[in-house]
Amino acid sequence: MSVFMDLNIISGNDKNKLRSIVETAAHLGYSTVAINYVVEPQQKKQEIPKPQSVSDIFDKFPVVQGKSSPIKVLNRLTIIASDASHFRPTNEYKSFDLVAVYPKTEKLFHAACMTFDVDIICIAVAEKQPFHFKRAPVNGAIERGVFFETCYAAAIRDTTTRRYTIANAISLMEVCKGKNIIVSSGAERPLELRGPYDIANLGLLFSLSEGDAKAAVSSNCRSVLLHGETRATASGVIYTMKKPKTPQKQEEESPLSKKAKTELT
Amino acid sequence: MVRFKSRYLLCEVCVPDRSSLQLLEDRTIYNTLRAAVNRAHGDYGSALFNIGVIVKYLNAHTGVVLIRSRKKHYRLIWSALSFITCLENRGQKVQCFLNCLHVGGTIRTCQKFLVKYNRQQLHRMLPDCKTDAEKQEVRRAILSCSLSNVREEEAGEDGSDDDGDKET
Repeated sequence: MSVFMDLNIISGNDKNKLRSIVETAAHLGYSTVAINYVVEPQQKKQEIPKPQSVSDIFDKFPVVQGKSSPIKVLNRLTIIASDASHFRPTNEYKSFDLVAVYPKTEKLFHAACMTFDVDIICIAVAEKQPFHFKRAPVNGAIERGVFFETCYAAAIRDTTTRRYTIANAISLMEVCKGKNIIVSSGAERPLELRGPYDIANLGLLFSLSEGDAKAAVSSNCRSVLLHGETRATASGVIYTMKKPKTPQKQEEESPLSKKAKTELT
Repeated sequence: MVRFKSRYLLCEVCVPDRSSLQLLEDRTIYNTLRAAVNRAHGDYGSALFNIGVIVKYLNAHTGVVLIRSRKKHYRLIWSALSFITCLENRGQKVQCFLNCLHVGGTIRTCQKFLVKYNRQQLHRMLPDCKTDAEKQEVRRAILSCSLSNVREEEAGEDGSDDDGDKET
């Protein structure tokens, strides 16, 4: 059971662009993609955006390569936190399927690993990681089922960022030993996406083993989704949803009226 | 008998505009790939690239490329493949990326896979058809897909045949 997922597509205002990215992802064989809304609370009281409803973007979702089912599109929120006050779990977070945090300092990284109610912790790709990964918080995160994410789009764009991406990824892999890693695109344009097998092979550069690299684009992503669901439901055990009322009543009524008529005649 | 074992990387060149695929040449891809390997893996990568890597086949209509590499270090060559962002031919730059479809031990397995893959593409095309004539054309193409056809024709001809369907 391995369907490929790409849990980071940067959202933009341009709907056509987003559509072409999702279409490319479907062509490459990704079964699930997540549209990422990045929030940086440090910059002038930025508000948490409301996620676009997915059905707004597409009338009909493109069919995944090699499958007969259409592609699944999710919403994801990433908070760039440089201060402890930036991460406040409010109701607005609940409208997203996934919540990620990008800690800027070591203290926040520790807090994100141990206490924050998130699914994904991002690591730096475009700059040198400002702190070392310590074993204690990383192990804590693995125990809690929180995943670390590294994006490859920056590595494709530029040589210097490629060096940072690879260096940061390797220093993370040394600590977590290839466990609880997801590799996602972070693509802003359709041409920044790569095929899932290419990414699994790119794990070679991040010093991941073959199996771990493949898990990083498939089964680990699935665990992230399930972890995201446990936030919305009571630990994933019980799930409540509103029952649509009006149509059922009509159904009940119509046979009654028929009965009444038959009795009358 | 001792022979050099190879791996064949069957790749697809993805471009935003299909007409720019016509510009592609074997040499373009070879040079771009060499530059990419050199940038990603330095002198060591270049040295490995110089032994055994060759662009075996290119279909400029469908954008399918077959690259041969030694079995021992094909993953190194492959990892550089994902860093290609544009191909340059005679001063014209084409923004693109390479998507690896299949890794095979022989050309034959790659060919088999390619027939299967192209057939899949035709199936994907079917719901998008607007007129009945187009639908008939694609259906006919799907039925004509088999490896025996490929063996009779040259591999290149099969590709151009396929392209005719894609344009419908």
